[in-house]
Amino acid sequence: MYGGGNTFEGIKTDSIQQEDPKRLAEFESRIDRGEKIEPSDWMPALYRKQLIRMIEQHAHSEIIGALPEGTWITRAPGFKRKMALMAKVQDEVGHAQLLYSAAETLGKSREKMIDDLISGKSKYSNVFNYPTYTWADCCFISWLVDAGAIVNQLANAKGSYGPYCRALDRICAEESFHLKYGHHCVIHLASGTQIQKDMFQEALNRWWPPMMHFFGPSDKISIHTDVLMRWKVKMGTNDDMRNQFLDMYVPKIWELGFTIPDPKLGKNPETGRWEYTEPDWEEFKRVINGDGPCNKERLEVRRIAEERGRWVREALKSPQAVYVVPLA
Amino acid sequence: MNSLDPRVIRLPKIEQEDIISPKIPLDQFGTFEVFVEPKEGKPFQHEGIVHAPNLEMAYILAKEAFTRRFTCTSLYVVDTREVYVSPMTEGENNAYELIPDAKESLNEKTTFEIYHLIKRGKQHVHQGHVAASNPTEAMAIAKTIYNKGKTVFNIWAIQSDKIRFTTQEEKDLWVTLPEKKFRDASDYKGGSKLKAFLEKEK
Ligand SMILES: [Fe+2]
Ligand SMILES: [Fe+2]
Ligand SMILES: [Fe+2]
Repeated sequence: MYGGGNTFEGIKTDSIQQEDPKRLAEFESRIDRGEKIEPSDWMPALYRKQLIRMIEQHAHSEIIGALPEGTWITRAPGFKRKMALMAKVQDEVGHAQLLYSAAETLGKSREKMIDDLISGKSKYSNVFNYPTYTWADCCFISWLVDAGAIVNQLANAKGSYGPYCRALDRICAEESFHLKYGHHCVIHLASGTQIQKDMFQEALNRWWPPMMHFFGPSDKISIHTDVLMRWKVKMGTNDDMRNQFLDMYVPKIWELGFTIPDPKLGKNPETGRWEYTEPDWEEFKRVINGDGPCNKERLEVRRIAEERGRWVREALKSPQAVYVVPLA
Repeated sequence: MNSLDPRVIRLPKIEQEDIISPKIPLDQFGTFEVFVEPKEGKPFQHEGIVHAPNLEMAYILAKEAFTRRFTCTSLYVVDTREVYVSPMTEGENNAYELIPDAKESLNEKTTFEIYHLIKRGKQHVHQGHVAASNPTEAMAIAKTIYNKGKTVFNIWAIQSDKIRFTTQEEKDLWVTLPEKKFRDASDYKGGSKLKAFLEKEK
């Protein structure tokens, strides 16, 4: 899982002036040629910093994102759904492992990243600060939040940093199962009883605003990230990603007989772009800064897991095993 | 804590509800590199890392992290510190050019596994093994045997007896992998149900 937008606030580009111009030119021409940057290659400090930040947030989003769905494993309707949801949640946690490893190659240790998550210093995708009241909320996440994540992840897999791209290739392959499974769940609700249909419609009404927030603030108000686009750290603007998502999934939602709670939503035939009511960016900011319905619970769950697992890690600790930075 | 999550309600009470205390600094587990054989007879390739307290645990965690699906016939792990790495090159430059030629040494020899990176951005792939008395010599010998044709951008050498291999008996770990259809997108074909639904709605 991963949402855009919250990653690049307030970047300062002055450090680029201090870089060796020859090396910077080599670095940029390598990216222009479509080659990947590997951990042992020279890279500008700003590139390293922004990548750590982005990959780390992505990793946090995977483990925090496993919580709202994980809570439904025991209550999923029937054995098949339980098996599938368990496999999906396990994948999401696995994605976090892959992504932490990729971020570690840039020099930030996994423990430091977990520390920063628990202390609230690092961010994760805003969408997971909302609750899953019913099974239909869980289905909304499996299908549509994952669909949004896939739009981002497929774009980022074409980025410039080798270890991140390799992790994303593995992740995207697994996401195709999440997406199919999620759609399968929603088709069942849509073709079920009136109660099932209503249940999903209500979930859709609850989740639509956070889903629109998912891709980050509108390009009109978000900070310029030209240098990050040039370095293939950020692969598309927030509005481009949002538009791509709407283009792919709004017709599929409508097809199932559901309505989307936005009277202005529609595709402009002239521009080919989707138009919609401007999402409430004040709420987005408020939630991302900690004041959402589930922020506190999400972090507490991580903290308690950390505390409860401590004795296990203590017992396993061995002086022979030494933390070093991963190779690739 | 007030929560919709049945697991959260069962969690122990938090003394100071508003304060999230920082995690107590702990050890970091060690780092281990993971290699997977995707098909019988195909070379092993590097897939990523796990953190673990020892080699055996690394093996178990690697199985969970890297072989839940796709085809896999074997797996091995090694402590990252046991991997010897050549310089990284690009363009037309072959990493073997930077390895000095082998001087025949009379010291006792062991086996080293050799890996190549032949496309930047991709994984290191197992090439074969050589007998040498140290990693530098192993790369120099590999240069005389494996440096043919394709440009190699990076070489790894690992002493074979440092690797935790899969034993013959353990190979059945992956026998049931194809049965785990519930992990696969192809098990969730909504097509016919969707079609029936659309027909009815017309
Ligand atoms: Fe994921
Ligand atoms: Fe997800
Ligand atoms: Fe997913």
